Amino acid sequence: MSNISSDLIWEVTRGHSASLVKTKTAGGQQFSRDPLNLKNQYRRKYEGMVSDKAIGVLPAENGGVKLLTKKTNKSHAPASALQISTFGPAKSTRKTYSAIVNSTTKRSYRPDLRASAVARASAIRKSQKPVKEEKPAKLRGAKARAAASA
Amino acid sequence: MSRPTVTIISADGAASQDTHPLPQVFKAPIRPDIVHAVHTGMAKNRRQPYAVSEKAGHQTSAESWGTGRAVARIPRVSGGGTHRAGQAAFGNQCRSGRMFAPTKVWRKWHQKINLGQKRFATASALAASSSAALLMARGHNVSTVPEVPLVVSSTAFADKAIAKTAAALALLKKVGAGADIEKVTKSRKLRAGKGKMRGRRYRQRRGPLVVYNPEEDGSEIVLACRNIAGVETSSVYSLNLLQLAPGGHLGRFIVWTSSAFAALDKIYGSTTEASALKKDFLLPSTIMKQPDLSKLINSSEVQNVLRPVRGGAITKRTMSQKKNPLKNKQVQLRLNPYAAAFSKNGLGHQKVEGGKPTTTGEVFSKTLHEN
Repeated sequence: MSNISSDLIWEVTRGHSASLVKTKTAGGQQFSRDPLNLKNQYRRKYEGMVSDKAIGVLPAENGGVKLLTKKTNKSHAPASALQISTFGPAKSTRKTYSAIVNSTTKRSYRPDLRASAVARASAIRKSQKPVKEEKPAKLRGAKARAAASA
Repeated sequence: MSRPTVTIISADGAASQDTHPLPQVFKAPIRPDIVHAVHTGMAKNRRQPYAVSEKAGHQTSAESWGTGRAVARIPRVSGGGTHRAGQAAFGNQCRSGRMFAPTKVWRKWHQKINLGQKRFATASALAASSSAALLMARGHNVSTVPEVPLVVSSTAFADKAIAKTAAALALLKKVGAGADIEKVTKSRKLRAGKGKMRGRRYRQRRGPLVVYNPEEDGSEIVLACRNIAGVETSSVYSLNLLQLAPGGHLGRFIVWTSSAFAALDKIYGSTTEASALKKDFLLPSTIMKQPDLSKLINSSEVQNVLRPVRGGAITKRTMSQKKNPLKNKQVQLRLNPYAAAFSKNGLGHQKVEGGKPTTTGEVFSKTLHEN
């Protein structure tokens, strides 16, 4: 629409928005629930709902990560506005990151979000690793060992 | 960027061949300040007067005891034989006293709002309803909506087809409004406070607003949608800002019937053509023709008058990483030009001249250790 730009949308929504989470602690840090927000911070750069082009990285259902990008020619069609591609858990993390970069930065699509996108994908992949069990505490002293074996 | 036509969605939810040019009202300027101010006034105009009883706190014959009795000079209830006697009365600080500045029914409940501003706000709210981002920012779940503005063919409403709630609900789900209705149903909560006993028992989100044209679609849709949570209906001839921008926030999700959508140009006219139904009304025109800041900055008009970038293509980087000269050969050569020859001649690997030192001999060692 010629009378609505992303700059205008940001000015309209920066004070109140469904994705905005205001906090009273931590200096009133403002967070975002937008899936297209790579840092979950309510800022013009990261708020994907507002921008014409935006990148989202989410955990995929069966492990791995999902890459969301906005199609610029579908801004008026919410049902088909997102391009979703999945990088499964079998793909190595390095290949996942380069796939994300190849389909965004390398195509001049929001190169400013490159580091954030890779960092988010990395954090998601790290969180999907099985949790290592802690080693049982080593017993100290003959008395403790005797008490444990008894 | 400009999108001259809108697809008309058929009753089964698929895009039909028909399109409709975007009515001029959708090009109106987005002005949250005007919408907010008008909304505040309009919300006040819905109020009903309330006040405490005129007599409250004054239904006693209390008189001050005056000075000299070592108590405050506040009026005190006369008589005896009950605890009430001698207690302070009337004052706002007293138990059972009147409130401070008792509310009156003749408070100024209503606000005059200029008609021009009301029309501006309505046009602005309608224009905002065509932006998917603003709908999502308002909290509408539009992820399944094929297009905004969402225009449903009026053939779906013909012959009283949508007279039953089930039919209306099925239609709304088909055209992608199901997720938003689901959100409303899930959001229903018991209201906090006294409102529960004053006919406002539950709170819930707002769902889609169905705008129809009563002349062509009939008004059965009103009854059909009446019991769907969050869904409101409105005639296109009497749109209300309280529904178009609830809470004063822009971006209500609107489901248009195609005949209502077609009537918009007649109702609102354009920036140059007067409206057919509103007296002395031209649509407000935008002050900025180009609201996209990056396009403005990168336009040739702006770029041509900027001074050229200083320093040229290669500039000294102020924040460069320090290199270790012991590991980085190039940096080492810059600091120590002799390093090239040192390394080429293999001076670091040469044996010491004269080979190993000769031993001092047995006699020396013996003499040394002699006691």
